[in-house]
Amino acid sequence: MFRPSASSALRSIPSSSRLVASSAPSASRAFHATASASLATPAESKSAQVKEFKIYRWNPDTPSEKPKLQSYKVDLSQCGPMMLDALIKIKNELDPTLTFRRSCREGICGSCAMNIDGVNTLACLCRIDKDTNKDSKVYPLPHMYIVKDLVPDLTHFYKQYKSIEPFLKNDNPPAQGEFLQTQEDRKKLDGMYECILCACCSTSCPSYWWNQDQYLGPAVLMQAYRWMADSRDSYGAERKEKMQNTMSLYRCHTIFNCSRTCPKGLNPAMAIAKMKLEMATE
Amino acid sequence: MDRRRELSQRWSWIIIEANHFYNSPLASAFAQMQKQTACDVFHVSSVSVNHINLSSSLTPVPSTFFCDRLFAAILKGTVNDATSFPSPSKSHGSYHWAFERVLSAALVPVTVGAAVSTGSAYPIMDGILAISLIIHSHIGFDSCLVDYLHPRKFKLVGPLAQWLLKIATGLSVWGVYEFNTNDIGLTELVRRMWTA
Repeated sequence: MFRPSASSALRSIPSSSRLVASSAPSASRAFHATASASLATPAESKSAQVKEFKIYRWNPDTPSEKPKLQSYKVDLSQCGPMMLDALIKIKNELDPTLTFRRSCREGICGSCAMNIDGVNTLACLCRIDKDTNKDSKVYPLPHMYIVKDLVPDLTHFYKQYKSIEPFLKNDNPPAQGEFLQTQEDRKKLDGMYECILCACCSTSCPSYWWNQDQYLGPAVLMQAYRWMADSRDSYGAERKEKMQNTMSLYRCHTIFNCSRTCPKGLNPAMAIAKMKLEMATE
Repeated sequence: MDRRRELSQRWSWIIIEANHFYNSPLASAFAQMQKQTACDVFHVSSVSVNHINLSSSLTPVPSTFFCDRLFAAILKGTVNDATSFPSPSKSHGSYHWAFERVLSAALVPVTVGAAVSTGSAYPIMDGILAISLIIHSHIGFDSCLVDYLHPRKFKLVGPLAQWLLKIATGLSVWGVYEFNTNDIGLTELVRRMWTA
């Protein structure tokens, strides 16, 4: 909270000790500085590369107002390389009301999933296009309920994830120690366990757009198969039985948007295809 | 009125599609309510604005129209409840999928077979080709209807479209039967059109 009176009062307190403390290191640094260091000159300021960002805005406090694209101009020479850097810069310096989710800034939390220049991806893993003649358009994940600006409501997505029981189910645990697994069995989980549930793939799937109330979508289906494929899980048949209906699994029409958009480079379409094959041949 | 009040208390979590909210009947209903009651009826916070907590409304919900609209937009259960699965049926699941693939794959040799033979000499082959094509098309169209005109969303048009498809498929089977038994048959028709 910004409180001008308090901060100005703090600033007005004279502190002789602080003055001494600040002057002492500068003197010592000058004394010890090497010749080359004293010759160092500040890097020449880069020429400004102003790029326009058009960002989807919708404010729940004024629900009757149409959502709109708001334009921001950012100097790329003063900004980090990733889309998330630009968004944070805009929020810090241009418009604090801009709302988006972010956390790890290195593609492991899945918070900053959004639609950037027409592709669902993580803002923190998406480089800014250096072409300043073209603007960049940023939308929230498509076909989702919007909480505010770039924040989609993922409640239903998480409810669906919960429905596939994403945990090890086995009625006969080993008498002692842990479940053992061969290296081959462990390999089956590679490419599936890495999913961070950012919902980029599910919200890029047209089938999920039209029928997301019943179709589970690629992200949740890949996790469903992750537990079917696990050699330590003994509920594979029950898990597959749940998918035996028109909507949950078989609304996948192998469009491949999921595999194409996955910011982690995973292949949900492959997992779904394996699941269908196993269900058809068992 | 009691039913409405009960509903408004029971269903506290309501989802409204923000993208479409601004011009929806809900938005105008909101405005109307706020005008009528002259108070901030809904607890709207910027944190969870599309979850409008009805239980914190200061007045009972006044209009039937409003409640019915809300009812249609309800997220089932609480946010911590898992979604449910439809009852399992292999004929709608894996059998249907496998049949669809096998039929598609079988159409390749059947089409080739019909192309190298003559329909009048092999009427059974001709019949198999025609029926396979019709079933293949039926499954394809049915898939479109499930995707885009599902009865759960389209109460009238959905079932209507499904029945239309069934009737069209039935008529096609009948027509092909008549055409193959009393006329030149499908393969011969393609052959003549090809050389015409």
